[in-house]
Amino acid sequence: MSDAGGPLLDARNLHRWYGEGEARVEVLRGIDLSVEQGEYAAIVGASGSGKSTLLSILGCLDRPGEGTYRLAGHDVLSLRDDKLSELRLREIGFVFQSFQLIPQLSILENTEVPLFYAGVRRGDRHAKAMASLERVGLGHRVKHRPTELSGGEQQRAAIARALVHDPPLLLADEPTGNLDSETGRTILQLIDDLHDEGRTVLVITHDQTVADHAPRRIRIMDGTIESDRRREVVT
Amino acid sequence: MRFLEFAALAVRNLRGYALRSFLTTLGVVFGIASVVTMMALGRGAEDEILREIDKLGITNVIINSVKPPEDTSANATRSWTVKYGLTFADFDQIEETVRGLRHALPVHSYVERAWEGSKREDVLVQGVTPSYFTATKIVVARGRGLTVADEEARRPVAVVHQQLIRALGYYGDPLGYDLRVGEQIYEVVGILEDEEFQGFIRKALSSPDRRDNEIYVPYATVLTRIGTKSTSRKSGAYESTDIELNQIVVEVADQVNVAPVARMLRTLLENLHESKDYELVVPLELLEQRRRYQAVFNIALLLIAGISLLVGGIGIANIMLATVTERTREIGVRRAIGAKRKHIMSQFLIETVMLSAAGGILGVAVGYAGTLAMEWYTGWQAQFTPDVALWALAVACGVGILSGVFPAWRASKLDPIQALRYE
Ligand SMILES: Nc1ncnc2c1ncn2[C@@H]1O[C@H](COP(=O)(O)OP(=O)(O)OP(=O)(O)O)[C@@H](O)[C@H]1O
Ligand SMILES: [Mg+2]
Repeated sequence: MSDAGGPLLDARNLHRWYGEGEARVEVLRGIDLSVEQGEYAAIVGASGSGKSTLLSILGCLDRPGEGTYRLAGHDVLSLRDDKLSELRLREIGFVFQSFQLIPQLSILENTEVPLFYAGVRRGDRHAKAMASLERVGLGHRVKHRPTELSGGEQQRAAIARALVHDPPLLLADEPTGNLDSETGRTILQLIDDLHDEGRTVLVITHDQTVADHAPRRIRIMDGTIESDRRREVVT
Repeated sequence: MRFLEFAALAVRNLRGYALRSFLTTLGVVFGIASVVTMMALGRGAEDEILREIDKLGITNVIINSVKPPEDTSANATRSWTVKYGLTFADFDQIEETVRGLRHALPVHSYVERAWEGSKREDVLVQGVTPSYFTATKIVVARGRGLTVADEEARRPVAVVHQQLIRALGYYGDPLGYDLRVGEQIYEVVGILEDEEFQGFIRKALSSPDRRDNEIYVPYATVLTRIGTKSTSRKSGAYESTDIELNQIVVEVADQVNVAPVARMLRTLLENLHESKDYELVVPLELLEQRRRYQAVFNIALLLIAGISLLVGGIGIANIMLATVTERTREIGVRRAIGAKRKHIMSQFLIETVMLSAAGGILGVAVGYAGTLAMEWYTGWQAQFTPDVALWALAVACGVGILSGVFPAWRASKLDPIQALRYE
C-alpha cells in the first residue's frame, strides 16, 4: 500500500481552526510532520496547545481546514467516507484521551469491536480480544462494564482495544495519564515491544519518563511545532 | 453482508435496554394482537355461516310459507281458520314450468305435543319425502331414513333426535320406540345425528312456529292422517290455520342455474299469490351477501390494523430517534474505530426491525390468547390460522423497516469527531 521508501505519514502545512470571524480560534497553525515506518515518537506540549487536535487529524478522524495529509500512500483528504473508515480500521489503532469505551458493553465486548468490523469470526474475536486484554494486564476483569473499572483499568482497556486488530500505526493520546508509575511502566514496556515488532507509534504525553523513552520527541506550542528532536537509541 | 453478526449485535444491544425495548414494542404488540384476534373471530364467524349455508345446500332454493301481515281492512272476512301459504297448486306449477330442477320437494308440517306418561314435549312434525334428507343434508346416524315404501304405504314411522325420547323419560333404545304425538303413534326408525350448531339461518328457514324438537315422518302419512288444518294455542287464544304446504325445497340441477331459477320462482309465485304469504331463501344469495359483508368487514379491519400499526410504528421511530441521540458517543466510537456508514445504518435498522418483529411475535401470542379468551367468554367460534400469524409478522417487519430507516440514516450521518465529543 505505502509508497516504497516514502514516509508512512506525511502532513504538510496543517491548519485547523474552530469558529468563524470574531470567534475564530486558531488551534493548528501550519504543522509540517513526517513520520517514517517503524518510528516511535512522543508528542509533548502544554495543555491546549493542539496535540489532541493534531492526533485526530493524523488518525483520519478530523479534517484540517488547510494543508495536505498522506497516510500509507493515500491522499487522506480526498478519500471518500467509506475509504476513510477502511483506512482507520486497517492502519490505525487509536487510544483516546478520554478512553471512549462503549458504556453498555463489557470490557471484552468493547475490545472486540474493531474485530467485528474487520470481519473476524465470533470465536476468533473472543480469543484475540482476550489475548489483547491479557497483554495489558486486564485478563481478570473482562466481563465488567467500563464504569465498574478504575480510570487506569479503563485506560488499559482502551489500549487493548486499539491493539486488538494488529494495526501498523498506533496513535495514543496520553496512554499513561491515569496510571500509577508501576502500571505505567508496564504500558511503556508494551509500547516498546510494539515498536520493536515494527509498528509505528505516536504517543502524546505529559509524562517525562514516557517522553524520555521515545527516540523522537516533537514539542508543540500554540499550534506549531516548536522542536522536533531525534536522539540515539540506547539499547 | 454478515447479517447474522449484525442480528446478534442487535440482540445484544436490545438486551442492554431490555425494559425500554419492551415498552417500545407495546404499540406493535397490541396493534398486531388486536388485528390477529379480529381476523380469527371474523374468519370463525365466516366459517360458521359458510358451513350453515352449505348445510342448507348451495343448489337449493327454499320456499317457506309465512303468515301474511294481518289484514285489518273492513271487508276482510273474519273466519276462525286462517288460510295462507304455499299450495299444492304452487307445487305442481313449479314442477311443470320451472326448468333445470333436479326435483322439488313438498313439506307439510304441524306442531303438536309428544307425550309419554305425564311428560310433554312440543314437537315440530315435518312431513317430508325421502329425498328431503339428502337435499337438506340431514344425516341419519342410526337406523334408517324415510323410504319410498314408507311414503307409498303411508306408514306411521319417524326419524327423531335422541334427546326428544330422553326428554320424554324413555332411556331404552329409541329405535322401535312408539312415539306418541297428539293422537298419533309413530314408530321411531331412525336417529338423527346431533346438530352441533343451530344457526340463525336454519332457524329462519323452519316454520315460524318451530319448536326445538323436530321429527321427520312421511309426507303422505301426515297428509292422510292429519290433513292441512291445524290448531295451535297462541297467547291463550286458539288459532286455526290451513296451510297446504309449509315448505317447498327446490333443488337446482346445476349451481349456475340457481339465480335464474330463483328469479323464475319469484315471478311465478308473485303471479300465483295475492299477498306475500311465502318467502324465498336462496343459500347462494345469502352466501354472496355474506361475502359482501365480509369484504366490508375486511376493509374496516385493514383500516384499524393500518392505524394501530401506524401508531405503533411512530412510537418505535420516536424511541429509536431518542436512542440514536443517546448513543451518539457509541456511534462516534464505532465510526472512529472503522465502522462504515452502512454498518451503523444496518445496526440501527436491524435493531428496529428485530424490535418490531419481536413485537409482532408477542402480538401474535397475545392475539392468540385474546382469541381464546373471546371464544371462552362469548362462545363464538374463532378460527386461528398460521397464515394470519405469518402476515402479522411480515407486517411487523415492514413497520420496523419503515420506522427504522430515518433514525438509522440519522445515526449513519453523524460526524465521528463530533459524535465523540457529544456529552
Ligand atoms: N470542538 C472545539 N471547538 C472549539 N474549540 C476547540 C474544540 N476542540 C478543541 N478546541 C480548542 O482547541 C485547543 C486545543 O485543544 P486540544 O484538545 O488539541 O489540546 P491538547 O493539546 O490536547 O490539550 P491537553 O494536553 O489538555 O489534552 C483548545 O484550546 C481547545 O479549547
Ligand atoms: Mg489532548
